[in-house]
Amino acid sequence: MTRIAVLSSEVADQIAAGEVVERPASAVKELVENALDAGASSIDIVVEDGGRTLIRVSDNGAGMDPEDARLALSRHATSKIRSITDLVGVGSFGFRGEALPAICSVSRLQLLTAAEDGTAVLVRAEGGHVVGEESAARQRGTTVTVGQLFYNTPARRKFLRSARAEWRAIAETLVTVALVRRDLHLTATHDGRKALALAPSRSLRERIAAIWGNEYAQRFVDVDAVLGPIRVRGLVERPADVGSASRRIALLINGRPVRDTGCVRAAESAYRTTLAPGLRPSLFLEVTLPGDAVDVNVHPAKAEVRFHDRWSVERAIEFAVRRALGSPSAAAAFGGIRRAIDWPLQSDVSIDRPPLPSDLAAGPLFQCVVPGTASATAPTTDDPAALPSLRQLRRTYIVYESDDGVILIDQHSAHERILYERFAREIESGSATSQRLLLPETVHLSADESEAMEAAADPLRRLGFEIEAFGGSSVIVHAVPYPHRRFDALRCLRETLASLAGDRVPTAHARHERLLATVACKAAIKAGDLLSEAEMTTLVRGLASTSLPAHDVHGRSTIVRLGWDELDRRFGRR
Amino acid sequence: MRLSIAREKLQEGLSAVASAVPGKTTLPVLGNLLLETTERGLKLSATDLDVAVSTEVAADVETAGALTLPARKITEIARELPAPSVKISSSDQRAVIECGRSKFKLLGMAKDEFPAFPAVAYDRNLRVKSGDLQRLISHTVFAVSTEESRPILNGVLWEIHPSQLLMVATNGHRLARMQVGGQYGSDDVSVIIPPRALEQVRRLFPADEELEIGMSENHISFRSPLTTVISRVIEGPYPNYEQVIPLDNDKTAVIDRAALTSALRRMAIVASDQTHRVRLSFNAALVKFSVQTPDVGEAQDELPVHFSGDPLEIGFNGNYLLEILRYMPTDDVRLTLKGPERAATISPEGWDGGADYLCLLMPLRLVD
Ligand SMILES: Nc1ncnc2c1ncn2[C@@H]1O[C@H](COP(=O)(O)OP(=O)(O)OP(=O)(O)O)[C@@H](O)[C@H]1O
Ligand SMILES: [Mg+2]
Repeated sequence: MTRIAVLSSEVADQIAAGEVVERPASAVKELVENALDAGASSIDIVVEDGGRTLIRVSDNGAGMDPEDARLALSRHATSKIRSITDLVGVGSFGFRGEALPAICSVSRLQLLTAAEDGTAVLVRAEGGHVVGEESAARQRGTTVTVGQLFYNTPARRKFLRSARAEWRAIAETLVTVALVRRDLHLTATHDGRKALALAPSRSLRERIAAIWGNEYAQRFVDVDAVLGPIRVRGLVERPADVGSASRRIALLINGRPVRDTGCVRAAESAYRTTLAPGLRPSLFLEVTLPGDAVDVNVHPAKAEVRFHDRWSVERAIEFAVRRALGSPSAAAAFGGIRRAIDWPLQSDVSIDRPPLPSDLAAGPLFQCVVPGTASATAPTTDDPAALPSLRQLRRTYIVYESDDGVILIDQHSAHERILYERFAREIESGSATSQRLLLPETVHLSADESEAMEAAADPLRRLGFEIEAFGGSSVIVHAVPYPHRRFDALRCLRETLASLAGDRVPTAHARHERLLATVACKAAIKAGDLLSEAEMTTLVRGLASTSLPAHDVHGRSTIVRLGWDELDRRFGRR
Repeated sequence: MRLSIAREKLQEGLSAVASAVPGKTTLPVLGNLLLETTERGLKLSATDLDVAVSTEVAADVETAGALTLPARKITEIARELPAPSVKISSSDQRAVIECGRSKFKLLGMAKDEFPAFPAVAYDRNLRVKSGDLQRLISHTVFAVSTEESRPILNGVLWEIHPSQLLMVATNGHRLARMQVGGQYGSDDVSVIIPPRALEQVRRLFPADEELEIGMSENHISFRSPLTTVISRVIEGPYPNYEQVIPLDNDKTAVIDRAALTSALRRMAIVASDQTHRVRLSFNAALVKFSVQTPDVGEAQDELPVHFSGDPLEIGFNGNYLLEILRYMPTDDVRLTLKGPERAATISPEGWDGGADYLCLLMPLRLVD
């Protein structure tokens, strides 16, 4: 009969090490995090044979004095927290004091460190035991060399995968670090080949461009929103581009990379109907929230967090992503990669060219209906591309039945999106038309409005407004755009200038988009406008051919889908 | 109230006033018709507060009275009545309608709830032939504006002069003006009338009837012996339309209206569904049409034309032009032009209709 015995601390360390260091990538992660905690601005990583024979992490951080260096290799020695209360809102990566000892217990480890330039100490250990110590020379910083990982735990070594697979895991770890700490100088070599060489980047987009190339970086839309105490920033993939490159997810909570399916799902749900089923977007999101709203000490590898109010966090993420997708830049990918979207009406509608007979494509939205012209008639039922019958609700929404549920469209938001994209296209290609006025109209402007008018003079002209200054704060409008039959040009101009007045938008680009979005909003039909069936048809078709049909330029939804599943559930049929 | 009335008379009266009932209203009584007995029979009235319509039909009145009844219900009942003679009686706010063996009791509202018609004076001795008015209305109202930002243009200008009537409507992009000659009192009168009221006027009065025109500060009334239309007027002044009618258009084209219409319709197939821009290029013998719409395609066409003046290229909203052509009363139309940014005129060629008709159209041009 086997007798019960207290484990030797050596065995206990090896077991614990299994939790912290399950494979070379986790060792790399711990070492790099230590370097970051030490304030390093530059980290160099050398890996050989997928990390099995060598992992070396060098940094230019604070370093350690000889006594600390020895202490660092013993369990629960940490300089980062002193008591359990410090754990709340902990700001460093490490806080358990167990990574170095754990790695040390399963490898031949050398710790070369200097708290000041020049005088360094080199501590050598094997299987967790210090076997030598000597003084050495080094610039301030630390180099940890991990040789023969798992040399003394054959069972664990047996579970390692191929060198390539292990390296891939390491690279993924390094990429995550590179995304978190964009100010970092980071290099990595594997078996002598340079794998990564990153200079500090100014933005997440720049970092992504440095890692995966410029073109890849252009497929993302900026996210930046604050909801209550929660801020969500980052980049999310443009719906039209999703699925055309492999999917990447990075989620940071208070600067810490974590895995959290709830947060990812919240971000995905912001995409709603913009994606074909099965497609999932790439996401790089950073969530910042008060330290006491989140608990990071849930999983030993620190990859999971516990939110005190998960619902608020997910809601903030969904809100932020939805707003980003609705932003003008989300739609501004004219000429970018274009793919068929899962438009609820016709599965074969592509963004570029809806396959409609031309007289229907040139449908009668907002045109003067001249009785007797063919194009003024609504599509007939034997038209193969016929829409389901459309109804207007509260003079605000258009509703129809689709294969997978009830679709509701906000008529103003939808029209706003259509006009936004059209105006942008017209300005770019110089194809706007301008209706001259029989009776030129004088418009009086406030000082702020005059200023806004001056700032926007060129784009307004290119949209079709011909405006002449007329002493003081008055202008005379001689010609106006003619985007649709219900368009009220003067009201649009007045309202646009009123809402741009006093704007302090920093960049020319942002100003331009703001102007376009404002004009589109003011030019669009409003909630309360009664639409004919033909107008609804053209509106729905027009929306289907926009690049981002599901969101208006303010990030509100244009489309809401009530799935049959959901309906069946609510009626207790499932 | 107690009366008997022929089913046809009741239907006639109801169909005259029912279209003045507003579709949706916050004031429930406006969904009702006012029924009042008169010396001659039964008077029916409806209003949406902007326009009021009333008409009298013959009936045998036994006891006088008045009440309001839901317009929809009474109209539907009248349509389905089985026999030619109908009896209507009322007590309090309840009407009983009997016809053959059918009997309906309908709940209404008191007469006092119904808004009183505004008082207008007929002291200017203004009389116009309904037919003249109908002609003016049907040739101009189409051009009216629906934009909220210029409420004046939402109305139609009507001028009465001792020897002519004139009507003008415009939305700022196109304008229609018609004048007819005659004898019309001794005053110069100018009012701006909502198109809905003119629509009632055009619909309700037979062409040969003489209408008496009544005025108050805010209202105008059109009255025949049996029927009255009263409308709110839009406060002016109307913009100076005469000033924008070009007098120096030095290029003239005379074109077959039907051929021009079908050419424009062909262009409309490919023209932008939003701006409907069509380019016309005139030279001595031909007018060439062309449209180019990104994402759709192109189209060209041409027509023989009698053109005098230097060659000219100009863009128009094809739908505006088509609409104007619809109202042109002659086989040929005359276009006059000045330049690609200036107003074109369109008028009937060789017309002896006893009226003067002119439409203006402002060009649509590509922003450069
Ligand atoms: N690269 C380094 N530069 C400077 N000091 C270091 C470095 N690596 C480790 N240390 C010191 O050694 C201590 C122990 O490191 P170790 O990784 O074992 O624990 P930790 O980082 O505090 O917590 P955790 O185990 O959760 O990562 C750290 O607290 C730190 O003081
Ligand atoms: Mg650590």
